Amino acid sequence: MALALVRAAFNSIREKGVGGALRAAKEQGYLAALLDGNLGNEKFRLDGKRIGTDKFGNEYYEKTDGVQYGRHRWVVYKDRTYNASSIPAEWHGWLHHITDRTPEQLEGLKPKRYAIEHSRNRTGEGEQYIYHAKGHALNPNKRDWKRYEEWTPAE
Amino acid sequence: MAPRCRRYPLPLPRSSTGSGSRRFISSPVDSSVAAGSGVAGAKGSTSKALNSGVAWYAGIRGKLYERKYGSDFYKWGSGASLGGVRHARVASMPAVGAKFDAKPEDCIEVSVDGKDVTVAKGMTVLQACEVAGVDIPRFCYHPRLSIAGNCRMCLVEVEKTPKPVASCAMPALPGMKIKTTTPLVKKAREGVMEFLLINHPLDCPICDQGGECDLQDQSMVYGSDRGRFIEAKRSVTDKNLGPLVKTVMTRCIQCTRCVRFASEIAGVQDLGVLGRGGAEEIGTYVEKLMVSELSGNVIDICPVGALTSKPSAFTVRSWELKSTESVDVSDAIGANIRVDSRGPEVMRVIPRLNEEVNEEWISDKARFAYDGLKRQRLNEPLIRREGQLEPISWPQALKTVAEAALKVNPDEMAAIAGKLSDAESMMALKDFMNRLGCERLWVEGNSEDTVADLRSNYLVNSTIAGLENTDACLLVGTELRIEAPLLNHRLRKAVRNSRAKVGVIGPETELHLKAEHLGNSTDILASIAEGKHPFAQTLSSAKFPTIIVGSGVLQRSDKEAVLAAVQTIAHKANVIREDWNGYNFLLLNAAQAAGLDLGFVPGSRAPVGDKKSIKFLYLLGADDLTPEDIPADAFVVYQGHHGDRSAYRADVILPGVAYTEKEGTYENTEGRTQQTSPAVPTVGDARDDWKIIRALSEIAGVKLPYDTLNGVRARMLAVAPNLFRVDELEPATPLPKESLPETKGKLDSSPFKRAVENFYMTDPISRASKTMAQCTAAYGRS
Repeated sequence: MALALVRAAFNSIREKGVGGALRAAKEQGYLAALLDGNLGNEKFRLDGKRIGTDKFGNEYYEKTDGVQYGRHRWVVYKDRTYNASSIPAEWHGWLHHITDRTPEQLEGLKPKRYAIEHSRNRTGEGEQYIYHAKGHALNPNKRDWKRYEEWTPAE
Repeated sequence: MAPRCRRYPLPLPRSSTGSGSRRFISSPVDSSVAAGSGVAGAKGSTSKALNSGVAWYAGIRGKLYERKYGSDFYKWGSGASLGGVRHARVASMPAVGAKFDAKPEDCIEVSVDGKDVTVAKGMTVLQACEVAGVDIPRFCYHPRLSIAGNCRMCLVEVEKTPKPVASCAMPALPGMKIKTTTPLVKKAREGVMEFLLINHPLDCPICDQGGECDLQDQSMVYGSDRGRFIEAKRSVTDKNLGPLVKTVMTRCIQCTRCVRFASEIAGVQDLGVLGRGGAEEIGTYVEKLMVSELSGNVIDICPVGALTSKPSAFTVRSWELKSTESVDVSDAIGANIRVDSRGPEVMRVIPRLNEEVNEEWISDKARFAYDGLKRQRLNEPLIRREGQLEPISWPQALKTVAEAALKVNPDEMAAIAGKLSDAESMMALKDFMNRLGCERLWVEGNSEDTVADLRSNYLVNSTIAGLENTDACLLVGTELRIEAPLLNHRLRKAVRNSRAKVGVIGPETELHLKAEHLGNSTDILASIAEGKHPFAQTLSSAKFPTIIVGSGVLQRSDKEAVLAAVQTIAHKANVIREDWNGYNFLLLNAAQAAGLDLGFVPGSRAPVGDKKSIKFLYLLGADDLTPEDIPADAFVVYQGHHGDRSAYRADVILPGVAYTEKEGTYENTEGRTQQTSPAVPTVGDARDDWKIIRALSEIAGVKLPYDTLNGVRARMLAVAPNLFRVDELEPATPLPKESLPETKGKLDSSPFKRAVENFYMTDPISRASKTMAQCTAAYGRS
């Protein structure tokens, strides 16, 4: 596995020269992957067994043989600008070894009546996504403390 | 003044029987027990100041006095401030030994828990224990009701008796050795409590009585932490008692307080006990509403959550509320109330103990009209432009009013104070109008040419509590039950306790007391005045005769003749004496007495009668004028808190505040000055009424010389000193017989009209109330 990667790197240098190979590596995301393990999972851990995909397109992998326990499950995010909160609650449990069952297996446990769809954290993506407490001035449903009805002259 | 003989089955003064288990009654403080009245008063005022947390409030409340027990008539607190501490004598302190009045030869000695106490003959064991300072748990016993003795919670041990005795029903005997702390007593009470809890549902978390429930409180002491009862609990069908009282009859413990209240206090035989044993139920037997103006009081006397307030069901828990002591303004009795509020809204109104005014009852209108405070409110100044009312700023609104007032000749101006006006705003309005040169002022309920020369002519001179002493009463032109339910209750007490004879001239109404309807014609009045009618004899032979004249008489064209006839009867029957003044003029509205005392009546130069000449009309919450009464070209200013009838005619609307939002002085129909306290904040852009008039006077160029509430009160002190003595009854000097005025005009034989069309809807607040509308639908005019 690792050998194949090194061979591919040498081939690239031979074809494009060092500068060209680096440029190509950057375009393909290999340089970013060196700095960010989550992206590295996608580029460098190619031998995992794909367990499933969530509704955002994030893919979940597992490799049990020859891997230290605790590092045997990982996620490959759909986007390079990933957001860890995009992992739904049901996959979160699997990914963090809270459960060994995948969301499909846990489907029956999902609350039907009050459960709402998972959405990722949208902090910093705009005013409309910010949660304001019910008394906050920017909450559109701000609680009204007026406890009387005013008279309106009926014409 | 006649001696106050309190007519109860037992000679214990009722004010002294308050106990810890009564939830809304602060027990009285006796000077000897509370280490001096000054201390008691000081404690009361300190807590008040702390509660409000506002320095000026504490300052205004700085005056201390202890009327009944204190040696000094007045005690002044720190700083010269006006207004007074109210109810220092009912400060919030537990009773440490109830007091009673009895001669030594009428006393016996008993021992309570080894302590010898002297009690009056005829007192019960429970009362003897209270004298000794021992609190006995009870459910069915209520000091104002007859003794039932059926809850068995008050069991005590008496030496040489084989069994525990129900202390509420057992007379104390000389030398009796009463024990209240023995294991036998504890076990007996625990047994009673276990039986009570067998069929009591465990719904305290959703029960409206939760937190102020006698059963809840007492089960903390005598209840077990587990039950032995494994059979099915009984359940009882809820009864429909009307739109005011909610029933959850499964919670009922059959104390029968409500049954006794209905038959003994309210005078309606609507409630009763059906069945016995486990099948016992309180109910109306047939589906029937409880029709009484005092029906809401069963909510207070119910020791559990069986009877609760329907309008406030599930809206409030007792510990969330802020309580403010205030005074009711829905009628002229001035019942003492406690306004319970949560945040900016009034959540409920309940009575406060005042033996001299309302005892511990209030009328349903006082109790339930509070939801009107949240509807139809005026919250910003409005001005009429091209027929439409539009919002406007305060300075512009005041400027418009001032300009309109200055344009008009003073003879063409008039001001009417509404039913709920406080004395401060009436004082300011009177000063303002007088400075503009206008003397045409009157208070709603009074006629346009009322004279306020003789104070005894417009007050209930026998006093409200004193009416209980009467043994013959003539009602003239009044439906007492509808105009003043609490006064009717006092008269009912007189009828029940001393078989007072009551004669009624006026519209025929069920008074819930034994009364003889003499007719509805002034001819009857004339024949009594001449001594021809048999009731004249009844009155003259009575020891404490009373006459109650209704305010409705003032609306008659022959009112002077009617009042002169009544005066004649009064003097012939010796109603007005040195020691007893039974001439009572019953006012209708809370503002009336203070208005008359302040001289809020037309001056001698004021034109009378023809309303067509009015060009500028200032309505201080006055809504009784019909649009036809107001000339089309008149400039109408409406200052008030509700968009009621007159708001539709107004050219400028100045939003004022309701009685729960201001500190206002009111005088009740017997001449007792009382004050309301602000319980909730004002709404929107509304302002205190006297401040509006003060601001207006400055813009109009006739600046009033006061700019603080104390300033207004100092002015009131100069005009009517009694309005300054809060919680004091200022009796009127009776008119001597020789100064009987010449009878002007002749009696016309038209019948007396009803003064109140609908008990439940008399003022802007109750007209805005949904609960009162439901009552009107359910009970009619009552």
